[in-house]
Amino acid sequence: MLYYIYDGTFDGLLTAIYDAYYEKDSPEQIVPLNNFVDNFLIRRIYIQADAEKSRKVHDAIINKISKDAMTNIMYAYLSEHENAGIFILDYLRFGFKVGKIADSYLSDDRVYNIRRLVTKITREKQLLAGIIRFRLLQNNIYYAPIETQYNTACLLGDHFADRMADQVFVIHDVKRNYGVFYDKTKWFMSDIELNADVVFHEKELFYQELWKQYFESITIKDRINPKLQSNFMPKKYWKYLIEMK
Amino acid sequence: MNLIEKIKILSDSAKYDVSCSSSGSNRKNKKGGIGNAAPSGICHSWAPDGRCISLLKILFTNSCIYDCKYCVNRSSNDVPRASFTPDELVNLTINFYRRNYIEGLFLSSAICISPDHTMELLLKSIKRLREEENFNGYIHVKAIPGANKTLIEETGKYVDRMSVNIELPSSQSLKLLAPQKTKESIIKPMGLIKSGIIQNQEEKHKFKSAPQFVPGGQSTQLIIGATKDNDLKILKLSESLYHSYNLKRVYYSAYIPVSSHPNLPTISGPPLLREHRLYQADWLLRFYGFNSSELLNEENPNFDELLDPKSGWAIRNIDKFPVEINKADYFTLLRVPGIGVKSAQRILQARKVTVLGFDDLKKLGIVLKRAKYFITCKGKYFPQRSIPTNPASIKDSLLLEDNIKVRENMEQLSFFTLFPGIMAVNENIARISGEL
Repeated sequence: MLYYIYDGTFDGLLTAIYDAYYEKDSPEQIVPLNNFVDNFLIRRIYIQADAEKSRKVHDAIINKISKDAMTNIMYAYLSEHENAGIFILDYLRFGFKVGKIADSYLSDDRVYNIRRLVTKITREKQLLAGIIRFRLLQNNIYYAPIETQYNTACLLGDHFADRMADQVFVIHDVKRNYGVFYDKTKWFMSDIELNADVVFHEKELFYQELWKQYFESITIKDRINPKLQSNFMPKKYWKYLIEMK
Repeated sequence: MNLIEKIKILSDSAKYDVSCSSSGSNRKNKKGGIGNAAPSGICHSWAPDGRCISLLKILFTNSCIYDCKYCVNRSSNDVPRASFTPDELVNLTINFYRRNYIEGLFLSSAICISPDHTMELLLKSIKRLREEENFNGYIHVKAIPGANKTLIEETGKYVDRMSVNIELPSSQSLKLLAPQKTKESIIKPMGLIKSGIIQNQEEKHKFKSAPQFVPGGQSTQLIIGATKDNDLKILKLSESLYHSYNLKRVYYSAYIPVSSHPNLPTISGPPLLREHRLYQADWLLRFYGFNSSELLNEENPNFDELLDPKSGWAIRNIDKFPVEINKADYFTLLRVPGIGVKSAQRILQARKVTVLGFDDLKKLGIVLKRAKYFITCKGKYFPQRSIPTNPASIKDSLLLEDNIKVRENMEQLSFFTLFPGIMAVNENIARISGEL
């Protein structure tokens, strides 16, 4: 059993794809270092992320398959699924073989496996665009802590920078310890080490109360249907929702 | 009165408006502004009733000069009254938006002093949002029936969607329950909005920079079950609204008893299943190429509550089936129960490179529960022992798989509502034997 172990970055993953293509010995799994569970049957090759190799793979995907294929493998990578690495390799091998029509093979496992992951990421991304809640802090930063199932926070930068263009904000992925920061001109990602309590702006709790009141009175009591509610908005996302506390 | 009280009263009175959609507009943020519309719309939360919350749906005021029998804000109803000031409303919208609670504002109002006066108040608030706060999020506003033409046209320049609620699907029903409203007063603003939109599209054709006019289109709402109007009448009305007034959406709202009046029916609960069937039929009209007379007729003017409208149609037209998945065109696929717009598109896409079997369909995400009775793959039916092919047994199989729960509910409902006396007796027995 041969495992490729990469550093966890997207560049690292693309480098692994590159190596898998040019080495004779094909990997059975491609896993990030932090997710690697060792056992004595496993032969391993550590992949050194290489910007040049990564760029070549990136260009080849776009030229020989499609832009969509590039998005697909990025989303699959963000799913952090245990088989994401090898699914991506299989998908790309197939893609390089059949070209830009690859995604029409909807029922082929090599495409199906990726598509399933992409659907999950897309759904969570759309849900998050709605249910992220900013809290205004004393220092006039709008701060939104979230815990997501997949690594989707990084996909929301453009969306919020477009609409909240004139406010400084941070979306904090609490599980993965990083944040999407926006400073009124551009957005960027950075690690977060939270070492002090967040202090709310004096008006913050007032608006939270108003929102909770709105949430309560907009409900039609004759139609209460908690199952429908949690179908749309699964309980695992309730922790940081002001109205669900 | 403090703001929290006002929100309580004014959102409570707005909640029976079903529409909360924030879709259809591609308004972009401006430099230094706040807000950006998402063409597909975004839900920001779901209330305990399972309805999506996308907009701050609220009335400007709930003090009304009208006395419509079905309406919670009717002048004769003894409820607390409140009004916003434009300042309060603008401030609330902006602060909710900045916290990502909402996608925008859905502003409606009871009729305060006069239709013109009310429309002016709404326009003033919206203008403030757009011009002073540079707000570019979604705004849906009610066109107040009876308001001046220029006011409605002016408002259209600032909003993404406008709507006029018809509420009652016929003139007789209006006369019965809303004697101060007439069909004409409702239809007139709809016509104004429609021609405004068409004119704007022509202008946009000539000058790309022409200002927008109601880019998200107009919608309306019909109340289901407050009057005797049948499904056929309602669906015909919707169909002609889509065709003649280019409406984006018609919403249906199961009547919830908010008052008792001799002209109103007494019902045990809102007719939610009927509302659901009408929505299904509405989708068939808009996205599936059906017309209302295929779904209902004078002999069968109401939907079967146990069966969705498309399955009902397919069973009545069994001679058009089975459909071969690998050959049928898009609109034929769309008519197969269980196959929706996305499924049909996926089938077409996958067919380019593969001959599809039933296993492939599952991987395409197509649910075969309903579809299997109406399709073949490579000339063969779904591999299942004794798959029924005649209408009566297909119907039975569909009900068996799908509607057992519905049947139980129906029995509970009808049993208690038809024989209230028995329920009391049962209750007595239960109490005596200590089962409760």
